Amino acid sequence: MPLWFARGLRRGVVTTRYPARPDGSAVALPTPPAFRPLLLTREIVDRMIAQCPGTALSRAADTLVFDAGSCTACGRCARVAPHAVTPSGEFELAATTRSALIKMVPILGERR
Amino acid sequence: MTAVEPRAAAGTREQLVRALTGLGSLQARDGGAVTVRIPAGALEQAAHAAAGTSGVRLADMFAADGDVTVLRLVWAYETDKPGYIITESEIEGEEYPPLSDIAPAAFVEECEIYEQFGIRPAGGKPLNRLMLPPHAGTELPTLGHEPSRPPEEVHAPYTVGGQAFEFPFGPVRQVGVESLYYGLVTSGEEVVDLYLFTWHKHRGVEWRLRGKTVSEAIFLAERAEGLSAVAVGWAFAAAAEAALGIAPAPAALRTRAVALELERLYNHAAATAALCQATGLSVGQAAAEIALERLLRVNAASFGHRYLFGVVEPGGVSRAPDADALRRELPGAYDELRRTTDALLGTNSFVDRLEACGILTAEQARRLGLVGPVARATGLATDARLAAAAGPYADHPVNVITAAGGDVFARFQVMLGETAESVRLIRQFLDEGTGADRTLVPPRASTGLGWAESSRGEVLAWVALDSGGRITRARLRPGSARNWRGFDDACRSQNVFTDIPIIEASFWLTVAGMAR
Repeated sequence: MPLWFARGLRRGVVTTRYPARPDGSAVALPTPPAFRPLLLTREIVDRMIAQCPGTALSRAADTLVFDAGSCTACGRCARVAPHAVTPSGEFELAATTRSALIKMVPILGERR
Repeated sequence: MTAVEPRAAAGTREQLVRALTGLGSLQARDGGAVTVRIPAGALEQAAHAAAGTSGVRLADMFAADGDVTVLRLVWAYETDKPGYIITESEIEGEEYPPLSDIAPAAFVEECEIYEQFGIRPAGGKPLNRLMLPPHAGTELPTLGHEPSRPPEEVHAPYTVGGQAFEFPFGPVRQVGVESLYYGLVTSGEEVVDLYLFTWHKHRGVEWRLRGKTVSEAIFLAERAEGLSAVAVGWAFAAAAEAALGIAPAPAALRTRAVALELERLYNHAAATAALCQATGLSVGQAAAEIALERLLRVNAASFGHRYLFGVVEPGGVSRAPDADALRRELPGAYDELRRTTDALLGTNSFVDRLEACGILTAEQARRLGLVGPVARATGLATDARLAAAAGPYADHPVNVITAAGGDVFARFQVMLGETAESVRLIRQFLDEGTGADRTLVPPRASTGLGWAESSRGEVLAWVALDSGGRITRARLRPGSARNWRGFDDACRSQNVFTDIPIIEASFWLTVAGMAR
């Protein structure tokens, strides 16, 4: 057991404030989508909704309702419309209220 | 009726297929699986023939509803040319022969089939509640007819009875551990008996798969047991591919195999950390968790997901690994794990807790149809990777690691041997070349069986598709669903309360895999 004590000290890993430094491995993680409102149409949005296995997407008239709390970052919506959807790069999604995770995205592609 | 013991001499798989075909008719032959239709009246005789053949194990049993309920038994043949034999029988009425009297491994599935389809083995034996919570409503419907009366409830009476009493533990346990209820029967310290309630997190995955295309369904299938996402996804995709008569490109299969071995590596590292936690070795736990975190980062760097979700797709894979990242990062992460496990093997206070703890014999493992490291630690060389008729493991044979003790230490040794073997296999697959090819998935009405070897053991999947390519019935059987039935036997074998977390860590099962 003393050897394990010494081993624990030798490793020198301590608890740090978060984040101690940018996490380099995060670039490889899948992240929820970011939508480009000007390239969204109702037809594209409806096709994305049909593909979303986590029911994170819905539509209310000309607004795409995106629930980041239900999103698994699977990337299926981006496959439907790669020009209108990109990975957000955002993986720290903690919020103090459930409603803060729900985002309203205007569908502006119809107006162009 | 008593359980059938296998005869000493093993026949060939073809001899068994001929014997079964003599009782019914050959339906299909597809790669490593043969399907034989057996009339219900000959089902008992067929079960005797299969269970009485050396090297044959009842791997799964499930039902499907239609005009009549069809009962399917999946037998694994493990001696020459390993593969699977499926018998299917139409069950008229509400009873079928008591198959668990012939093959004890069938009892858990008898309970599940009664819950989901309302048919039961003849003889009136009590069948336990297994999947559906007592409060399940319309959000968790059954797959077929509801049983005429509810399953038996095994309740802890919380009272002292003679020298023993029941100690309820769970379903809420420590942070981060899945919901699971233990009914511990104890005389104070020794575990006299133990039973589990596994229905607290039932999600109705098989019910939710109905009506989906296989490409839609794989998202749910790999989440049936998230820590075996690659293995369950591969088995499901292979079942769909067998049904549709398509074969993924060899490079795509090697990609799956790389992901599968990475999944085995991180799971065995996590089991090592859990063993350290269970034995109170906090520095060892931290060291193993550092190795685990490095392995998860290798997964993210090579496949874009720490838990390897979304890699397997019906017809192939969605992406190929970043081979450079894998070659660069994997050796260091594996060395980190080896340094920790080497130190653990030199720590008597750790090894002493593992030896002679949670013992299972080869006979118990065989009768209960156990799989994976739990079975291999008893000396049984069962491994679904051997049943690959073609594919990466046919070209790069796996060295099946076994041990003889059947205790926690034997299971730990098997896991350590398998981590080295996984690293060797990953190198070979990368050297031969991986790819992100995907064969088109045509709609076709058919059925198919698929399998893969997860870190917890054999995973089986079976799908039935309609002419539009939509699922009419999907069966998922992760390794956990098989091995929980051996857990209570392991806990009863002269163990005390504090051994149970150690035994659970050495099994390294998920409740999700059972309560899918």
